[in-house]
Amino acid sequence: MALFGQVLVNGILLGGLYALMALGLALVWGVLNIVNLAHGAFIMLGAYVAFYLFTLLHLDPILALPVAMAVLFALGYGVQRGILGLIIRGPMFNTLLITFGLDVVFTYLAQIAFSADFRTLNPGYAGANVLVAGVTLPLVNILAGGIAVALTVAVWLMLGYSRLGRAIRAASQNLTAARLYGVEPRSVYALTFGLGAGLAGAAGDLYGLVSQINPYIGATLTAKCFVISIIGGLDSALGVIAGGGILGIVEALTTLYIGPTYRDVVSFGLLVVVLIVRPSGLLGRTT
Amino acid sequence: MLRIPLTILALFLALATAYAQDIQLGASIQLTGPEANIGRYYRDGYELAVDRINAQGGVKVGGQAHKLALKILDNQSDVNLCVRQYVQLVTQDKINLLLGSYASNYVLASSSVAEKYEVPMLQGGGASDQIFSRGYKYIFGLLPVASQYFGSTVDMMTRLNPAPKTVALLYADDAFDTAVAAGTRKDIAAAGLTAAIDERYSNNASDFSTLLARIKSARPDAVLVAGHETEVLNFIRQSKSLDVNAKLSAFTVGVQSADFRKSLGGDADYGYGMTPWLPLASAKDAAFGDAGKFAADYKARFGYEADYHGAAAAAVVQAFAKALEKAGSTDPKAVRNAIAKLDFESQYGRIRFSDTGQISLPQTVVQVQKGELVAVFGSNGFLVKPQYPTPEWKQR
Repeated sequence: MALFGQVLVNGILLGGLYALMALGLALVWGVLNIVNLAHGAFIMLGAYVAFYLFTLLHLDPILALPVAMAVLFALGYGVQRGILGLIIRGPMFNTLLITFGLDVVFTYLAQIAFSADFRTLNPGYAGANVLVAGVTLPLVNILAGGIAVALTVAVWLMLGYSRLGRAIRAASQNLTAARLYGVEPRSVYALTFGLGAGLAGAAGDLYGLVSQINPYIGATLTAKCFVISIIGGLDSALGVIAGGGILGIVEALTTLYIGPTYRDVVSFGLLVVVLIVRPSGLLGRTT
Repeated sequence: MLRIPLTILALFLALATAYAQDIQLGASIQLTGPEANIGRYYRDGYELAVDRINAQGGVKVGGQAHKLALKILDNQSDVNLCVRQYVQLVTQDKINLLLGSYASNYVLASSSVAEKYEVPMLQGGGASDQIFSRGYKYIFGLLPVASQYFGSTVDMMTRLNPAPKTVALLYADDAFDTAVAAGTRKDIAAAGLTAAIDERYSNNASDFSTLLARIKSARPDAVLVAGHETEVLNFIRQSKSLDVNAKLSAFTVGVQSADFRKSLGGDADYGYGMTPWLPLASAKDAAFGDAGKFAADYKARFGYEADYHGAAAAAVVQAFAKALEKAGSTDPKAVRNAIAKLDFESQYGRIRFSDTGQISLPQTVVQVQKGELVAVFGSNGFLVKPQYPTPEWKQR
C-alpha cells in the first residue's frame, strides 16, 4: 500500500510538470491553430537560460523563472511576427513544416552554442524531500507542480477575464467579428505565441531542476506535450492540467504493474483511445 | 599569367601525391544528436592517435613510410545514416580500413557493411556479445565483452563487509545493456546473491520514480544499473530526491566521465563503475610513452579528461598502424589477417583478439570519492579501500 501511494504521488507530481510543459503548446494550438513542433525546443532553451543564469550569475532557478519566461516570450513573439505570421493564412501543413524546421535549427544552434554536454540545475535544495504519511515528497517536484498549477490557473483567468484574453479568444473564434471590434490580429497572435513560448521557458527551468538538459531533449518533450493536449482537450487550461495529471499517473502505474518498457505503449495507446472515443479531449467541448 | 594555372597544377599534384601516399581511415561518428556527448570522444581519440603516429613518421608499409589520413562523417546519432555512411566510405571514397562508431547498436548494424565488402572494421565503441556471435570475420572490438561488465563488481561485492545479499538489476532495452544484464544475472546467481528486482526499462527513459519506489520498498543492498549516461544521471538525481538508499550503487556508464561527475557534483560520490583502462604509468606504449602520458596529452589537447572511450579509440588507430606494418600492404584482406594475429602492449592494455574478434581485458572497479575517480578493485583484489557502505542521502 505504501508502494502504491508513493507511485501515485510520483505520478501526480510528474503530471503537474507535464501540464506546465503542455500548456503553451495547447494555448498556441487552440488559438492560432498551429501545432508548434518547436515547443520542446523552447522548453530546452528555457532550461539553458536558467542554467546559465544559475552557473554564471548564481541566480536561483526559481528566481530565474520570470527571466526565462521573459526571454522565451521575446523569442516567441519575434518568431511569430517574423516567420509564422507570414504563413498564418496558409494550410496547416506549412506551419507544421516551418515549426519542424525551427525545431531542427534551434536544436543545432543549441549544440553549437552550448555543446552536447548534459547539464543540470543543481541548487542546494535540488534533492531535498519531506516525508508525509510514509510517502516521500521531493521538494522540487512539489515546487514544480505548484508553479505549474499556479501558472495554468493564471493563464485560465487571463483568457477568461482580461481584455487581452478576450481578444485572444475572439480572434480564435471569429476573426472577422474580432477585427470589427478592433482586435489587431497580428499583435494578438504574436502575444499568444510569445505567451506559449514563455510558458515553455518556465517549464524548461523546472525541468532542469528535476532532470537533465541537453540540446536534444526537445523532440520527446514535444511528443509528450502533444499527447497531453489531445487527452485534455484544447478548450481550457484545466483540460491541460487534467491531461498532464492523467498521463503522469498512467505512466507511473503502468511502470509499476505492467513494466517500464510498456510506458510509451500505454500512453500513446491512451492517445489513440481518446482520439477515437472523444476526439475533442476529455475536457473539451464535444460540438 | 602562368601563375594561376601553375598553382592549380601544383595543387593537383599535391593532391595526387597525397592520395597515393596517405593511408585512409574512415569512420562515421555521432558528432551531433543525442549520442554526441560520447561520440566526440571517439573523434578526439582517433585524431590524437593519427596525428601522433604521423608526427613520428607515419606507418611503414613495404619499406615506404605513409601518413595516415582520417575521414570522419557525422551520422547525427542515426543508425541508418551511420550504415549508409559506411557504405559510402567503402564504395565511393574507396576507403578500405574502417574505424567504428560509438555504441553497440551502431556497431551491430555497421559491422555488416564491413563484412559485406570484406574490409576490416576495428572499433572501440561496441561491446554487445551479439556483434561477435554472428561468425563475422572483419569486425574486431577493443571493449571487453558486455556480459562481463559487472563481473568484477559482483566479485568485489562478495568480498565486502558486510557483503550485500540482495541486488536490484535495472537495464535499458538496447543490444548492449540487455547483454550486460544477461551476463550479470549469471554473475549474481553464481555469487549466491538474490536478485530482488530484475527490470528492463525503455531506452531514453527520463523518469525513474516508479522503479525507485519499488527499490525503496524492496530494500536491496546493492543496485546495478546498465544504461546510458543521461538515464544514470536522472536515476541518481531522483534517488536523492526520493531518498532511496542502497549500500552500493554501480553503473555501466557515467561515473567514468569527468563531465558527468561535474554536472552531478557531490551527488556522484560513492557511485561505482568499471573501466578497462586507467591512466597508469605502468601501461607502456610505443607512440605515447604510457597511459598516464596519453591521458596528459589528451587533456592538454581537448581540455577534458580522457576515459576509456577515448583511450580505446586511440588504440584502434594504433592497432591499425601495427597491422599495416605487419601486413606490409594496404590490401584489406592482408590487413584483416594481420589484425587477427596482433599481440602488443599499448596505453590501452594488451591488444590481442580472440577468434571471434573480441579482446579480453579485466574490468577494474572504480568509485567516485570526493569527486575523483579512484580504482578500488582489480583482478588481484582490492587496490584501495572502497567507501562502503554508502551513507544514506540524509547523512551526506
